[in-house]
Amino acid sequence: MSLSRSWAVARTSWRLQMRDPAPIIAMTLLPLVLIAFLVQSAKAQLVLEGYPNASGADQVVPGFAVLFAFLSVEQVVSLFYREYAWGTWDRLRTTPASTADIVTGKVVVRFVVGLVQTTLVFVFGAALFGYRPNGSVLGIAAVLIVFNVMLVAFGVMLVALFRTMDQAMVVGNLGGMIMAGLGGALSSVDSFPAWARNLAPVSPAYWTLDAVRHLTLDHGGFADVLPAIGITVAFAVGFAIVAGLRFRATAVKVGTT
Amino acid sequence: MDQAVLSVAGVRKSFGPRQVLKGVDLCVRRGRILGLMGVNGAGKTTLLSVIAGLRRPDAGRVRIAGVDVSRDRTAAARHIGMAPQALGIYPTLTVRENLECFAGLSGLFGRHARERVAEVAELLGLSEALAQLAGRLSGGQQRRLHTGMAMLHRPDLLLLDEPTVGADVLSRAALLNVVAGMAESGSAVIYTTHYPAELEQLNADIAVLDGGRITVEGDVSTVVRTWASPSVTLRFHGPVPTLDGWARRDQALVPELPVTDPAATVADALKALGHHADGLEDVDIVRPSLESAYLKITGSTGHNAQTDQEACDVAVA
Repeated sequence: MSLSRSWAVARTSWRLQMRDPAPIIAMTLLPLVLIAFLVQSAKAQLVLEGYPNASGADQVVPGFAVLFAFLSVEQVVSLFYREYAWGTWDRLRTTPASTADIVTGKVVVRFVVGLVQTTLVFVFGAALFGYRPNGSVLGIAAVLIVFNVMLVAFGVMLVALFRTMDQAMVVGNLGGMIMAGLGGALSSVDSFPAWARNLAPVSPAYWTLDAVRHLTLDHGGFADVLPAIGITVAFAVGFAIVAGLRFRATAVKVGTT
Repeated sequence: MDQAVLSVAGVRKSFGPRQVLKGVDLCVRRGRILGLMGVNGAGKTTLLSVIAGLRRPDAGRVRIAGVDVSRDRTAAARHIGMAPQALGIYPTLTVRENLECFAGLSGLFGRHARERVAEVAELLGLSEALAQLAGRLSGGQQRRLHTGMAMLHRPDLLLLDEPTVGADVLSRAALLNVVAGMAESGSAVIYTTHYPAELEQLNADIAVLDGGRITVEGDVSTVVRTWASPSVTLRFHGPVPTLDGWARRDQALVPELPVTDPAATVADALKALGHHADGLEDVDIVRPSLESAYLKITGSTGHNAQTDQEACDVAVA
């Protein structure tokens, strides 16, 4: 591994992201628009669940932040596949940069962009819809950091597993929506039928949203969410292991611009 | 300047049942340009990919500046600059950003990177376009940028796979000048092309890849001398006379045997024709070229290698 070469890849990846910011802006604004529609029904549901002082933003802000973060995994995917479409992947590989240097440079950028995007949804959710956590803000920050690490690992795993960008995008979006929905992004897990409640823990989103819920509504402290953070880390490690085992720098992949 | 930068020994590479490289041996010395020729599908791109470390050979060894590519690709890559056949640029980044990316990957940062980017852009006639998005450049400019990205770190070995494809006359001339300049400054260059005239212009050494092996190797003049001969054609506007040693072809006479001295051949023919020379309309003398040699090489089958391999063996060993 070389920090300077990873930095060179990261700088270029950053420029590529900033040159075409529309997807990032859309994935930040769209949840805020949808929150406006759903905040009242979420409030009613939370009151029924025993939170008489809930604003509704306590449920929908984290939920939509997580849902759209999952949908943004396609940005991780495209950051790799476009290299194939532009003919630059093999060019990168002819330089002294190792595959690890290249992948690191890319995922670091996507991690930062993803984290900023998720954080902005929380910040604007607080400013516009009155999202107010009653627990540890530091805990929320830690949960979001680990969640975004897990997401980039998930994205790289998709790149490793699929030959074409379309395949990876479809599976990524479908898988992301199912994981987010099952994890309680659209509605509280407590409102699910029993079978779905039992299934929910297989989704990493469940652990993230469960932790944020404790920190938002239940006066949770940092220590309370350490198990959830640990499980999210385990998901990230699992995705990273699959990615590491299946990623072939020499593989012929089909990207689109 | 005669130090071997690249030595390739016994490289084999198959894709499934198809054996593309069947034991390639090559060496390229500092300051020399090797023109790698071969028909489409001969394995030129595969060979360059193996040399660049993009593909592992099934057998054989590639050493660049003394580094075994299979053992230490990263160390070997420090000595390589490669512009693959397919265009590889970031269309949504500017020319400067494209060049800066590859400067950084080659270990150039800050002032050194800025200076070298400006220098390469100047060499390739892209100085005015540095702030333009690469995707908005003309095809020739994109091709020049693509090539420039490979030479930022002044590599010991420059691999150029058909660098002038799609380039206009000016871009081609600029690219050839830059390639010649790189060789003059000490880089070894492997240059694949389907335009033999470019290799003549570069005064390159020639290697022809055919059937998975290097079948012909030598400098341009040796290859041309060995494989091509000048042609002489005497054209008549009236009846074509008969002449010993010459064959009629339409309204012309052509020598039945290969010509070694075309001027003497024409002089002898005119003398022998006597008053029949009055009907002579035109005399065509076509000098032998790498193109005619190449056509003969690729048209022949089962020919033996014409190599300087003995010299390479020392470097490879």
